[in-house]
Amino acid sequence: MLAYLLRRLVYVVPVALGVSLICFMLVHIAPGDPLVAVMPLDATAEQEAEMRAAYGFDKPLPVQFGLWVAKAATGDLGRSIATGRPVAGEVMTAVGNTLVLAAAASLIGFPLGLLFGFVAGYFRDTGVDRAVTALAITGVSVPNYWLGMVLVIVFSVTLGWLPAMGAGPGGSRDWGWDAEHLRYLVLPAVTLAVVPMGIVARTVRALVGDILSQEFVQALYAKGLMHGGVLRHVVRNAAPTALAVMGLQLGYLLGGSILIETVFNWPGTGFLLSNAIFQRDLPLLQGTILVLALFFVAVNLLVDLAQTVIDPRIKRT
Amino acid sequence: MGIGRLRTAFAAAVLAGTALAAPALAAGTLRIGMTASDIPLTTGQTDNGGEGMRFIGYTLYDALINWDLTSADKPSGLIPGLATEWKVDEADKTKWTFKIREGVKFHDGSAFTAEAAVWNLDKLLDDKSPQYDPRQAAQGKSRIPAVASYKALDKYTLEIVTKEPDATLPYQLAWILMSSPANWEALGKSWEAVAKKPSGTGPWMLADFVPRERADLVPFKDHWDQTRVPRLDKMVLVPLPEPNARSAALLSGQVDWIEAPAPDVIPALTGAGHQIVSNALPHNWTWHLSRLEGSPWNDIRIRKAANLAIDREGMKELLGGLMLPAKGFFTPGSQWFGEPTFAVKYDPEAAKALLAEAGYGPDKRLKVKALISPSGSGQMLPLPMNEFIQQNLAEVGIDVEFEVVEWNTMINIWRAGAGHESAKGTKSINFSYFIQDPFTGLIRHLACDLKPPNGTNWGHYCDPEMDALFKEIRTTFDAAAQDEVMRRTHEKFVDEALFLMVTHDVAPRAMSTKVKGFVQAQNWYQNFGSITMD
Amino acid sequence: MAVITESIVAPVERTQGYWSGVARRFRRDPVAAGCAVLLLLLILAAIFAPYLGLADPYAGSMARRLRRIGTPGFPLGTDELGRDMLARLVYGGRLTLFLGITPVVAAFSIGTVLGLVAGYVGGRTNTVIMRLVDVFFAFPSVLLAIAISGALGAGIVNSLVSLTIVFVPPITRVAESVTASVRSLDYVDAARASGAGAFTIVRVHVLGNVLGPIFVYATSLTSVSMILAAGLSFLGLGVKPPEPEWGLMLNTLRTAIYINPWVAALPGLMIFVTSLCLNLVSDGLRSAMNVRD
Repeated sequence: MLAYLLRRLVYVVPVALGVSLICFMLVHIAPGDPLVAVMPLDATAEQEAEMRAAYGFDKPLPVQFGLWVAKAATGDLGRSIATGRPVAGEVMTAVGNTLVLAAAASLIGFPLGLLFGFVAGYFRDTGVDRAVTALAITGVSVPNYWLGMVLVIVFSVTLGWLPAMGAGPGGSRDWGWDAEHLRYLVLPAVTLAVVPMGIVARTVRALVGDILSQEFVQALYAKGLMHGGVLRHVVRNAAPTALAVMGLQLGYLLGGSILIETVFNWPGTGFLLSNAIFQRDLPLLQGTILVLALFFVAVNLLVDLAQTVIDPRIKRT
Repeated sequence: MGIGRLRTAFAAAVLAGTALAAPALAAGTLRIGMTASDIPLTTGQTDNGGEGMRFIGYTLYDALINWDLTSADKPSGLIPGLATEWKVDEADKTKWTFKIREGVKFHDGSAFTAEAAVWNLDKLLDDKSPQYDPRQAAQGKSRIPAVASYKALDKYTLEIVTKEPDATLPYQLAWILMSSPANWEALGKSWEAVAKKPSGTGPWMLADFVPRERADLVPFKDHWDQTRVPRLDKMVLVPLPEPNARSAALLSGQVDWIEAPAPDVIPALTGAGHQIVSNALPHNWTWHLSRLEGSPWNDIRIRKAANLAIDREGMKELLGGLMLPAKGFFTPGSQWFGEPTFAVKYDPEAAKALLAEAGYGPDKRLKVKALISPSGSGQMLPLPMNEFIQQNLAEVGIDVEFEVVEWNTMINIWRAGAGHESAKGTKSINFSYFIQDPFTGLIRHLACDLKPPNGTNWGHYCDPEMDALFKEIRTTFDAAAQDEVMRRTHEKFVDEALFLMVTHDVAPRAMSTKVKGFVQAQNWYQNFGSITMD
Repeated sequence: MAVITESIVAPVERTQGYWSGVARRFRRDPVAAGCAVLLLLLILAAIFAPYLGLADPYAGSMARRLRRIGTPGFPLGTDELGRDMLARLVYGGRLTLFLGITPVVAAFSIGTVLGLVAGYVGGRTNTVIMRLVDVFFAFPSVLLAIAISGALGAGIVNSLVSLTIVFVPPITRVAESVTASVRSLDYVDAARASGAGAFTIVRVHVLGNVLGPIFVYATSLTSVSMILAAGLSFLGLGVKPPEPEWGLMLNTLRTAIYINPWVAALPGLMIFVTSLCLNLVSDGLRSAMNVRD
């Protein structure tokens, strides 16, 4: 198993390199001049050349890529074209904020998903199952950016119960896990939690149903074994897959919150990314996507490792 | 610039100001939702266009020559800022001297002098100087094309030499904001450090700053003009680029003021007891026409016909009343409007007649391609507005085919000109213009020597008569006489229907009724000093 | 929204009348069958939109903007430019469904071929293809779609390209794992031993077993694809105005939510209902075909 773990760790390196190549190329398949965002409307050709050299856009592509990776490895992701601030700092702040949101959405979505999925799987083909399944499939099918807008209208504008946008009165820097700040988190987190809730519920329902329909479980029942024993068996067998699905979902929450962050003006990576796209701030776009993708790779790795450890059935060599 | 007149105006302003400043009470915090997606550059010369100058530029900083932002009723003009007076040398019309205001302090306590002004010009123009900042230069350099050289004659006298005689220099200098050299030194000569702790001479100081989320401004009590010292305790700027998030923030009480509310949200805002404030703005939303060989817009009858075909009142309805229908290139109340003979109005019958005269009719409809963008700063609501124009023009017999390009691409095409292949044979570009001074208002659009790639005369227009007028503007140093030339030039703009003149923005802003004392000047910039909160 | 979970699919024993069995079981599921009918209707309406006697979806008038649902002549009201909502929703279905289905079909074709090749040939070919897939898998799907669209710029073709790129890796993975497991089955070995060519084996023995599970998986992706495509348009990265498309309509009607919330909610509702139906049909197919996940 140790050999597997090691191999799995080493394997991250080529993937990370591939990921950075894609991030780098993304920007260079982009049409239009990356410097438009900073250039004054009536800049001279001379000014343009000056700016181009300042941002390194005058060098050939492979050289740019080499420089970019070498710098990225030391934590330097270049400077934002639109703000001139170092990209790394901006991205890390934003990743922190997105993590807060993703964590909150997970805390809402995963337990609910597990509960619903378990109940539905346990009482398969009953009314309870159908109700829960309907709820889960609704969660998977609803365009959450639309749901977010509806929630703002209802809970912020009409009822005035919860703030409509932002990460608290002082911005994300003053973030704290207190009631005042948590109020700001409720709407975006609930909106974001809907999809993972549905997915986890659907997966767990299928898992639990399958385990319960296995012959030996039926045999346990027949022998009149206590429900507790069956339950323990179910949980133990469903846990690895459920964990894997939740891990993946956490990753998707990190990258998938862009629409929600736009709707709620949440200062996370999604918000940063949409700014980067519309201001054509290419270094910022590159940096943000790279950090998110690497985060996702790390989460996948952790899930994989955790699964190997807790699931004795998986023999990886 | 008539210095005598300015002095009087200034004295009057001081007198009026002392009367106003007397009941300076502590008056709370004002929170503003901006449309920019980030806090504009704080080091001096701001980015984010007009909004940057409005909220970070003219708040934290002053220019040598400022815009007068005290009146809502008349177009604003230039007033003394960090320079108390200026004049051009009678013998050598390229040589200007500026008397620097004495006793002006930066927020960090250092004094503003002629040397500081030179230091700031070097910051933008001299890439060998240690304080040269490419970011600020990118924003400021192109604003002062006339400047050739400058030096401090003594502590309070600045001399600027222009490349050729240019009477528009004061307008150019109104762009240039002065940051503190001592502060930059103290912060390790790093503009990045200055961004967090900037120091200007303006009536507001930056107290706190979270990039992309918030900037806190507090009053600078030692400002040289006590009338401009803010009565608020604090002003908080929040970037809220998404229009619905901006409206929701005001409706749920998270901010007190939002810039540019979407027209459809306005009934909900007023319904919830908020006030909508707007005023004429030196802004122009137009179709800049191609004048290259083969463009139908070379025919004055077609240009006039198109101008007569637009139902501007109908468009106003689309925008919830928040636009000022164009009567010319400048806003109707502008000091430079003059008395054009061609009336820009809605008269489809006259338009059809003109088109018939030009050889077009129901069986021979005019077909023309037009460049538009789905969004963009100053573009208002470009898609519905252009679709509206498309319908209007179709009614008189002009069939418009749109070429829709993304805003940044459109800026590139605007720079490249109508003849460039990227323009794809379009005969007009829908662009919105900042028209606050002679250069941005008139000269840059139609001067022969500013044809692309040298400038932004997109349509390659060239008329010696027009160039003579531009030259006269640049060489008329008496303000009143210069205004007179401006009026004559504008009359030519309108009478020859050189643009499709559609509308002016009115810079709507929505605010809670708690906001008191705001006077919206007819300017891109505003004064926040007079505001109080209930 | 990011519903790409890897199915671990067991090869299904082929019997006579397998597909008729599937069809019978599917019909017996009333929810799935009802949804299939509804989807069919939506698709037919979208295809034959010009013949349904609808109003011109592009013709607007300021005089009648944002009319309520039930206004005579405008059964579903009008949008922010006074255009008939019913017509725009029906025509909008064209682009929205097209944008939802095409990338999945394209990714289905590309991914299946890649997966078959990787799974059947194995060895170095497998390594190259699957490691490449791994790299793309390292991006959360929404992020990848937005990143590619953001880089390429707005437009229908760019949306299609970016969504296809997003869906190729998961389909390839599923195809590869099914192929690899089918390949080691006895009867495939037997066929190979009897001297059948690789192409014949793949066509006769592998493809038949593999297509079903991948197809079910692909249908579940269609809903994701549609929500994502509409999301791209919502962000301004997809379809350009004045084309009717549900995501874009949702975007342009956003500010009207304060004046006429029901009309503004319609495009979102259409996306929701269609995506719900796609998911239910996919579920129905899954159980009718006995595909386990």
